[in-house]
Amino acid sequence: MILSLVILYVITLIYLSITERFRNHASLIALQGVILLGIALLRLHSLDAVELAFIIVETLLFKAVIVPAILLRVIRKTKINRVRSSGSSQFNSLLLSIVALALSCWITSAMADERIDMIFFGVALYALLSGLIMIVVRQRVFAHLVGFLVIENGVFLFSMAIGVEMPMMINLAIMLDIMISILLLGMFLRKLDNNIHTDEADALTSVKD
Amino acid sequence: MIYYIVLSSVLALAALTVSSRRWVDVFSTLFFGVQAAFAVWLAAGGALDSTQLGIFTFDTLGMVFHVLMVVTLGFVIVHARQYLKDEPVGSYRRFFTLLMLLSTAITCVYYANNAALTWIFLEATTICSAGIIYHRHSEAALEATWKYIFVCSTGIAMAYLGILLLCTVVHDGSLDYASLAATIADGNPLYLKVAFLLIVAGYSCKMEIFPLYTVGVDANFAAPAPASAFISTALVNAGFVAVLRIYLLYARCGEVFVWARHVLILIGIVTLAVGAMFLRRTNNYKRFLSYSTIENMGIAAIGMGVGGAALWAAVFHVACHTLIKSSLFLQIGVVRHIYNSYRINRIGNYININRVGAIGFMVGTVVLLAFPPSPLFVSELMIFREIVASGQWWLIAVMLMLLCIVIYAVWSRMLRLNYQPNQDELHLSQVNRRLSYSALVLLVAAMVLGLWQPDLLNRAIDTIITLR
Repeated sequence: MILSLVILYVITLIYLSITERFRNHASLIALQGVILLGIALLRLHSLDAVELAFIIVETLLFKAVIVPAILLRVIRKTKINRVRSSGSSQFNSLLLSIVALALSCWITSAMADERIDMIFFGVALYALLSGLIMIVVRQRVFAHLVGFLVIENGVFLFSMAIGVEMPMMINLAIMLDIMISILLLGMFLRKLDNNIHTDEADALTSVKD
Repeated sequence: MIYYIVLSSVLALAALTVSSRRWVDVFSTLFFGVQAAFAVWLAAGGALDSTQLGIFTFDTLGMVFHVLMVVTLGFVIVHARQYLKDEPVGSYRRFFTLLMLLSTAITCVYYANNAALTWIFLEATTICSAGIIYHRHSEAALEATWKYIFVCSTGIAMAYLGILLLCTVVHDGSLDYASLAATIADGNPLYLKVAFLLIVAGYSCKMEIFPLYTVGVDANFAAPAPASAFISTALVNAGFVAVLRIYLLYARCGEVFVWARHVLILIGIVTLAVGAMFLRRTNNYKRFLSYSTIENMGIAAIGMGVGGAALWAAVFHVACHTLIKSSLFLQIGVVRHIYNSYRINRIGNYININRVGAIGFMVGTVVLLAFPPSPLFVSELMIFREIVASGQWWLIAVMLMLLCIVIYAVWSRMLRLNYQPNQDELHLSQVNRRLSYSALVLLVAAMVLGLWQPDLLNRAIDTIITLR
């Protein structure tokens, strides 16, 4: 069951690299939140009520509902709909994504260790590379925001690969920090659209030497 | 500590609710009083090396940089009141609230005894700084703020990945530095190396070193000058403390530590090169001072990489840089009042407009370039001696070449401010020599440290570098 969810997660990453509509990006981020909830519930064997509530809040409420809602709101307000002027074609994006997947598999096999679940590690690494690729090859800042979220989801998966269980307070603080960052990014993205009338990263060049 | 955090946060948020500048000033003064009292209590040994709430330890490393932050904060508050005197009340109180929250978050970074908590509070500093950077609400400020939040958040996510990898060395999931120190030597060398790369690359956006140094420059450029004085010193020091704590952990790792030091030397050289290159290129005095911060943090990274006495020198270098750079940023705030501009190729004749400020700049330049009696002369000399002792002549050659470029760039730019004909409109009614004098105090303090290092400071740095 876990393996099926992990494969589904990889498919969302591949689909994210080729889809052009930002609404699809928001939906895929929401789907990733749900998949992460499933993986967390299946993977963590002994859960008390507080931990269960926290995982549901972090994955289902935060990753699958609130963050996609923020993305959809930004899409509605800014009327940014498509990756129209992407820095590379869909084919190139798919190619880069597959290279990233192969690279992740290679690094994972090179780093194999009994202390880390290598399947989770590999997929988390692939998520990290996918996020970075989106940030580098896409021109629109909205796609950069999605790339950042993909990285954050990858980090969540990575924490499961390590099997680390931090104190609740630290987990909560991490989640709040990330949530405020995303709120701020969404807010400033709308301001960019309103004030500079651009959603292209290439247009953000007034602050330079 | 809990009283400190609650009281500081309450005072900061109270400033946001008042409707007059006077009350904002009252709350900011009270806030500074709390910071100063807390720092004095700790420095007097009130709770040195004690642990509070299980997550904060008042160690010497945190204390030294906390005291420096409080000193800087006092000057920043005084200058910011004058700098923002013509702004609407809403904007004024928002600035001070964010400044107070930022200094509280930075204090928490200094004292956090857990790698995950250091990460959390560093991310919190991003959130507070973002509001300060966007203070002017201009297009440039918006762009700088977007870049700052985005790059810092992505960078710090990478650092978190590194921290998670560090988790593999502990068995109970505890990420406090003491637990990590006890078990790090047993860790998988490959994981430790990757973790080190991720953490240093992630925290580089705060420490203003390669690879994510750019956001710090943009932040200093967009923020009001007194805030830049704070960001370029206290916040950069927070990044330095975070990296130094990881460095001290790795000191137990033998072969991995040697590798980590080589990485730091490489990062330091690239950072120094970038600083030297852009010091020649930029046409804005605030960006110019920011690149100087990058250059100095590059030297500190090299010091850490070389190790031994150079590590002592690196800590001393960063501590003294705090006083010098905050003084220069506060001076540049006075310059902006007069010219309403920071453009290097247009503003000039400062020596005849504000002699005190001009002398402050000239002396500041001498001290920044590490000429005696600069404390940076002491630290750089120690780093060079250690490099010579280790036989790395190529490093000496590269550093000297880059420092020559820095000296030429800094001197020529600072001389232009004082002596080239001015081409911009002047606002002479805005000349406030008291502010120039007050900024000079920080510079004098730095020069005193250059001539005489108090035994207390020497022992404090000795303790810091032996925290292994």
